[in-house]
Amino acid sequence: MTECDHSSADDQVLVRAAQKGDMPAFETLVARHRDKLYARAYSMMRNEEEAIDLSQEAWVKGWQRLGQFQGESSFATWMTRIVINLCLDQLRRQKRHRAESIEAMAEESGGGGVERQMPVVTPNPTAGLERAELRQRIDRALNQLSYEHRTVLILHEFEEMEYKAIAKTMDCSIGTVMSRLFYARRKMAALLANLKKEDLT
Amino acid sequence: MDYDTQLQLQAYLDGELPERASRQLRVWLEEDPEAKALLAELENTRTLLTHYDEGILLPESREFFWSKIEREILAGRKPASRPGRLSVFPGLRYLVPAGSLAALVVATLLAVQGSGGSKGSEYEATLSDPGALTYRDYASGTTLVWLSYPAEHELADDEPSD
Repeated sequence: MTECDHSSADDQVLVRAAQKGDMPAFETLVARHRDKLYARAYSMMRNEEEAIDLSQEAWVKGWQRLGQFQGESSFATWMTRIVINLCLDQLRRQKRHRAESIEAMAEESGGGGVERQMPVVTPNPTAGLERAELRQRIDRALNQLSYEHRTVLILHEFEEMEYKAIAKTMDCSIGTVMSRLFYARRKMAALLANLKKEDLT
Repeated sequence: MDYDTQLQLQAYLDGELPERASRQLRVWLEEDPEAKALLAELENTRTLLTHYDEGILLPESREFFWSKIEREILAGRKPASRPGRLSVFPGLRYLVPAGSLAALVVATLLAVQGSGGSKGSEYEATLSDPGALTYRDYASGTTLVWLSYPAEHELADDEPSD
């Protein structure tokens, strides 16, 4: 298969070629989906270097496991699951090495704590913002969530995973997923509202 | 509004509530402005995140990003389609038949010598390991084993550690 063939071929064709050892075909797949994988790693890790390293590691693992890819999901989805699992492993390792915030610990043990007391944020505090500005604010808000809350939010909102699938990925109960997602959304709303106020003063 | 009801409201938003429960919740929503406001807030947050990661782009060129991946792959941690272990060392595919042939030649030579009257010797090839041939000479107390493949640990070293 020539370079031109690679760039015009669809993922299925490239995957089949890569499974036979065609590395240029695999490189085309990397080029095609590298931004998506990096974005997922970055949204979870909140660190550029770690996100690059982990997404590269995911691609290497993807190559090593290509023989296991059956095509039940799209190749991009399959690769994204690999990078998500790598990020989760890394975040768990990091968590073991540092104490979590008091607030996060209270939420974990309380099963419905501070998020119940938060006032409802209305109307939408980010209305009228430019996309780049909005993304900056969301970035800052996401940075303030614990990795468990952020990950549930990301898996649900960006990966469109159902509660059950998130529970399986994160090795927790569906109830915990619902609780973390609720907390994450309410906290995001509050943080975005506060950021707006801070900017105005 | 209790916590379980708040979570139900969220499940309704996410399409995770059974149809019957969803119908009941819609009726209740019409009568409860507090619940309606909370639902609007949850919806807002969801909408805000919709296109968030579309603007996140890898801050490295295609070639630079690929170079590290390629290096790792070429380091031979594991091939893509997981063929037999021997493919890790492409040269071995030629060495194995050559080794078998060499073992056969040695065995034939010994058989010719043995037919000259040296009794008390034997050759042994087992079905469980066709790549090995054993020669025993009871008179001189000699045992020789020919293997047509390399020692096990030489291949195992290349297996990934994950």
